[in-house]
Amino acid sequence: MIEGLNNLASQIGGVGSTGSVAPAKTTGATGGASFADTLKNSIDEVSRLQQDASDAVNNLMTGQTENVNGVMTAVEKSDLAFKTLLAIRSKLMDAYEEIKNIPI
Amino acid sequence: MFIDNMINQSGAPLLEQVLQFTAARHKLIAENMANIDVPGYLQKDLDIHRFQEMLSSAVENGQTGLAADDFDRITNDVQNPTNSILFHDGNNRSIEQLASDQAKNALMHNLVIELLRDQYQGLNMALAEKVS
Amino acid sequence: MFDTLDISSSGLTAQRIRLDTIAQNVANMNTTRDANGKPNPYQRRFAVFATGQVDNPDAPGVHVQSIQLDDKSKFRVKYEPDNPDAGPDGNVRLPNVDMAIEMVNALEASRAYEANVTTMEVTKSMISASLRLLA
Repeated sequence: MIEGLNNLASQIGGVGSTGSVAPAKTTGATGGASFADTLKNSIDEVSRLQQDASDAVNNLMTGQTENVNGVMTAVEKSDLAFKTLLAIRSKLMDAYEEIKNIPI
Repeated sequence: MFIDNMINQSGAPLLEQVLQFTAARHKLIAENMANIDVPGYLQKDLDIHRFQEMLSSAVENGQTGLAADDFDRITNDVQNPTNSILFHDGNNRSIEQLASDQAKNALMHNLVIELLRDQYQGLNMALAEKVS
Repeated sequence: MFDTLDISSSGLTAQRIRLDTIAQNVANMNTTRDANGKPNPYQRRFAVFATGQVDNPDAPGVHVQSIQLDDKSKFRVKYEPDNPDAGPDGNVRLPNVDMAIEMVNALEASRAYEANVTTMEVTKSMISASLRLLA
């Protein structure tokens, strides 16, 4: 799990697979994806997973599928994605608080 | 209205209706089990296929669940299924069918409870702003 | 949900009463005198079930409507001239209880009893699962 968070941190840093952490860019630049784009993509992904889970549950309730495992897996995936987004949000808020309290 | 939308988001009313339907069906199955030796007693059941069709059309129309009077009607519409042998005493029992119906119904009920709990937990997490 | 437990418990009671009559039949298999000591062989009894609770015939459930004497099957006859209960022709009339029939009925009653117990367990698990909604 620590490796997962490190991966996330390097992705937010903007370079991803090379491993070196570049300073966060707030606007789209010539290099990798900007932080805002990554965040937006993550939110869209979470939303998509939640919609998938909701569709799977509706299919199970209306009897169109008998695949209970698939439905529970989809629900669990959307749960994990949501919790990840929430954890990222908490870390961002903490980071912002810390930066705010830096005496000039 | 805003709180209403938040609490009734993403399928919770539909899950609650399924929960009430499975509870009503469980009561009928229990009654069938108790009357397994009574002469002249015909088995009772709710029409689960019709219920699922109604749910499916409600979902396709984008509603959050069945309308209240539709739901009342299908939950109280007790039928006598005729797909088992009529014994000499006038009872058309089938304990194997009853046992399997009961197991399926109870499992679906418990599964829907877990799904509902999961949704409310997600809301709680978002409101508490921390991963619980 | 809680009145579903009442339905199953009415089934349990009814099956237990049925088992009681079977037990009485088996115990009195060779009884040739009645309670007053007169020569009157024991007649087999059986329980008659009906739908509905005891106090409310419209409520779902089952109850024993009556315990009736079986006067359709004949008494067993045995030739024993020195038995004090023998008739003038030397035959003793024994109760019309057939062990095989009683055993099969007892099996059926216990199977139905188990089915009702299973239903009660399932009901309890469903109610307990609902409690988890709050946790």
